[in-house]
Amino acid sequence: MWFYALKRTGLALVIVSVAILLLFSLLHLIPGDPVSIALGPRATPEIIERYEEKMHLNDPLVIQFFIFLSNALTGDLGVDVFSERSVARIVGEQLPYTLVLAVVGLGWAVLLGIPLGCLSAVRPHSLLDRITGVISVGTIAVPSFLVSIWALLIFAIHLNWMPVIGAGEPDDLLDQIHHLILPAFAIGLGWVGYLARLVRASMLEVMGENYIRAARSFGLPQRMVIYRYALKVAILPTITLIGIGFGHLLAGAVYAEIIFARPGVGKLIYDMVMSRNFPVIQGAVLITTAMYVFITLIADLIVAWIDPRVRESLQ
Amino acid sequence: MNIYNPTRREFLTTLACVGASSFLSPMTMMARAQGKQVLKVRQDRDLQILDPASMVGGTEIEIQFAVLPRLVEFDYSTGPVRPMPGATVQRIVQRDATHIDFTLKAGFKWTNGFGDLSAEDVKYTYERMKTSDWSGYYDQLERVDVKDKLNGTIVLKQPFAPFWLVTMAHGVGSLLSAKATEKAGGKFTTELPATCGPYTFQWTPKQKNMFRLNPDWAGPKPDFDEVQGLLVEQDKAAILAYEAGEVDCSEITSADHARYKKKMPPNSKIFVAGALQYFWLGMNTEHPKLKDIRVRKAIQHAVDVDSIIQGAYSGTVEKSFGPVCPGLIGKRNKTKYSYNPAKAKQLISEAGANGLELELKTLNQQERVLAAQIIQANLQAVGIKVKVLPLDGGPFWALGQEKKGDQWKESQLWLMRYGTNPDPYEAMQWFRREQVGVWNWERWSDDEFEELYTKALAEIDSTKRSSMYMRMQEIMEDTGAYVWICHEPETYIHNTRVMPKTAPGAEMIFQGFKRA
Repeated sequence: MWFYALKRTGLALVIVSVAILLLFSLLHLIPGDPVSIALGPRATPEIIERYEEKMHLNDPLVIQFFIFLSNALTGDLGVDVFSERSVARIVGEQLPYTLVLAVVGLGWAVLLGIPLGCLSAVRPHSLLDRITGVISVGTIAVPSFLVSIWALLIFAIHLNWMPVIGAGEPDDLLDQIHHLILPAFAIGLGWVGYLARLVRASMLEVMGENYIRAARSFGLPQRMVIYRYALKVAILPTITLIGIGFGHLLAGAVYAEIIFARPGVGKLIYDMVMSRNFPVIQGAVLITTAMYVFITLIADLIVAWIDPRVRESLQ
Repeated sequence: MNIYNPTRREFLTTLACVGASSFLSPMTMMARAQGKQVLKVRQDRDLQILDPASMVGGTEIEIQFAVLPRLVEFDYSTGPVRPMPGATVQRIVQRDATHIDFTLKAGFKWTNGFGDLSAEDVKYTYERMKTSDWSGYYDQLERVDVKDKLNGTIVLKQPFAPFWLVTMAHGVGSLLSAKATEKAGGKFTTELPATCGPYTFQWTPKQKNMFRLNPDWAGPKPDFDEVQGLLVEQDKAAILAYEAGEVDCSEITSADHARYKKKMPPNSKIFVAGALQYFWLGMNTEHPKLKDIRVRKAIQHAVDVDSIIQGAYSGTVEKSFGPVCPGLIGKRNKTKYSYNPAKAKQLISEAGANGLELELKTLNQQERVLAAQIIQANLQAVGIKVKVLPLDGGPFWALGQEKKGDQWKESQLWLMRYGTNPDPYEAMQWFRREQVGVWNWERWSDDEFEELYTKALAEIDSTKRSSMYMRMQEIMEDTGAYVWICHEPETYIHNTRVMPKTAPGAEMIFQGFKRA
C-alpha cells in the first residue's frame, strides 16, 4: 500500500510537470503579442519593452520554463506583472469560491445520483428505472453552460427568486448560500445523471454475484443486502468518478463562474488568458492541476483502502 | 437632597422602557441603513494599477475620479465639454500661453493622516508624471512653481491647448499626496496610499469596488451614500443583471442598444455617454493592388456607409466624416466623396483593375463582422471580390506593425476603431509620419499634415485650431485610404431612479450620479 502510494505520488509529480510544460508551449503558440494585448493597442514601445522584460518574454522558452518551475518548487509562483501582487495570493483569493462551488455542485449530485442509481438497479425495467434513465441521459446530454443560462433566465430573471450575479456579501453566509444555489445546481445537474447511470450499472453487476445470492438465501433483509453488501462494492468505481469529477469541476466551473459573474479560479484563468497575463495563468494552472492530480490520487488511495482485491493486486 | 426611590411598579415600567428602547434601537439603525442611498453599477474590468503613472485605464480612471482630486473637471453645462475648476480648486486660469495659475481651496485633507491637499502635491504629481507611462500627456510641461501652500503655477514649454481637457481633467491628471506616495516607495499598484475625494474606496478582487462617503470630504456631498461597482465582465451577464434589477446602471453594446430601442425594459432609460471613437475602413496605400489612388477612390465611392450604420448598428451610431469625434472642435459635417457605385466602376475601369480581389480583415466582433459583410456586398456590386477575415485581437493588432513581422506588406483592407480624448490632437497623432508602420497602417505621410499638426498643438484660438484640424482630415481623405464609417457611442442603460454622469471618454463619475 505504501509502495503504491509512493508510486502514485511520483506519477502525480510527473503529470503536473508535463501539464506545465504543455501549458508553456500552448501559451506561446497563441497568436498575438501578449504585452500589446495586455496593455492595449496604444502602449508605447518603451512600456512594451519593460513588461516583456518583467515577463521574461525575451528569454528562450526553455529558460522561461525552468525559471518558473524552479521558483514554483520553492513555493514562489511569481507576481502579476501589472498589479505586482503575488500570484499565490491572487489564486488563493479565488480558490475558495471554486472549491465551495465544486463541493456543493458535486455534493448534491452525489446525494441524489447514488440513491437514484440504487433504486433503478433494485427495480430494473420498472417505471422508476425508465424515468430515471430518461432523466439521467437528458441531464448528461445538456451542457452545463446551457443549464446555467436557462436556470438564470427562469429562476433569476423570470421568477426573480435567485440572484443573478456575484457570490454574495462576504460577511453574510445566508446571502452567499443564496448566490450559490443556481450555479451549484447548474454544474451538478449533469453529474446526477452520470452517477445514477454508473451506480445502476455497477449495482446490477454486483447484484448478480454469488455472495449477494448467498446473503439473500440466508434470509437477510433486502435493505441490508443492498446497502451493506452490494453498494459497498458497487460504489468503488463511483469513488474514482467522483475524484475525477471534482478535479474536472475545478476548471469546468468556468462557465458557471462567467455566466453568474462569480469569482473563481476558472474565471480567473479565462480572464487572464484573454489578457495574456502569463504569470497568473501559469500559477493558477499549476495550482488547479496539482489539486486535480491530488484529488484523483486520494480517490485511488481510498479505493485501494476500501477494496481488499485492489490491495492484494498491488502486493 | 431628594433620593429617587421607585416603587416596584415604577421599576418594572422603567425596565420595560429600557428593554423596548434597546430592542427598537437596532430597528432604528436598520431603518437608517435602509434609508441609505445605494447605487449599484456594473464595472466591466477589474482594476490592475491605480497609480496614474502606470495605470491601464478604464476602471482605474473611474476609481481615481471618485477618490482623488483633479485641478480641472469636465463641464457639460454649456454644450460642448469645457474645463471647469475641480472640486478642490478655488481658481485656475491661463495667465498667458504657457502659464496656468491655480489656487486650491483650504481644508481638503488626505486620508491616513497625510495632511492637507497642497500645491506641493500638485508639483509632485505633475512632475512625476513626466517620467511615467503616460508621459506623452506631460511632454509640454516644464515645471510647477509653488508660491505657497495653496497657490502655484503650471509652466509649459510651449503653448499646448489640450493640456486642460486631456491632461488635467483626465485620470492622468489625478493628484496624489506627495508624502503618502513617497512613504509607499514612490509608486503603488492596487492600494492607494492616501485619498482625497468624495468617497473612500475598498476593493474586493474579482468581485466589487466599494465606495463609501468620505467623512472628511469638504466638497459637495454626492447624492449616493454608497456606490457598489460590481464586476461583470461579460456584456450578456451584465444585461441579465440589469434586467433582474441587480445593477442600476450598466454599459451596453450597440446590439443591445438597438434591441432596447425597440423594446425598453420597464423604468429604464438609455444614456449616451459620448462618441469618442472613430471607425473606418482603411487601405494599405503601399500594397500593389491598392497603390493606384483611383482604386482607393473607387472603394470610397463604392461603400454605402448609411447601410452599414443601419445594418450593423441599427442606426445607433453617428455617421463619421473623419477622425475628429462629435462634440470636439474640428468636427467635419461632410466628406468630399459620396456613395456612387457608377463612379466607382468608372474609376476601377480607368485604373485597369477589373476583377480585383481583396482581403478585408476585422476584429471578430458582431458589429464589425456585419459591417465587413456589407462592405463585401458593396464592393462585389462594383466588381471587386472581397474575402472577409475575422481575427482575434492578438493577430489583428499586429497587422500593420512593422515590428511584429512582415504581415503589414500583405495587409490590404481592414476595419479599424480607435478611441480618443476630448481634444482633436489625440486622434491625429496616430497618422503622423513617425507612426507609419506603427499605428498609421495606411502608410502615407504629408508635409502639410505634419506642419499643421505642430501648429495646431500650439494654437490657443479654438476657431483657428478647428480649421487646421478640418484641413488635416481633408488631407487624410485625399489619400483615398479611408472610408469613414461611424462614431460608436458608449451607451449605458439605467433605471429611472438614477441619472448617470460620465466623462467624455465614458468613464463613470460616481459623485455626479443624481437621484431622479
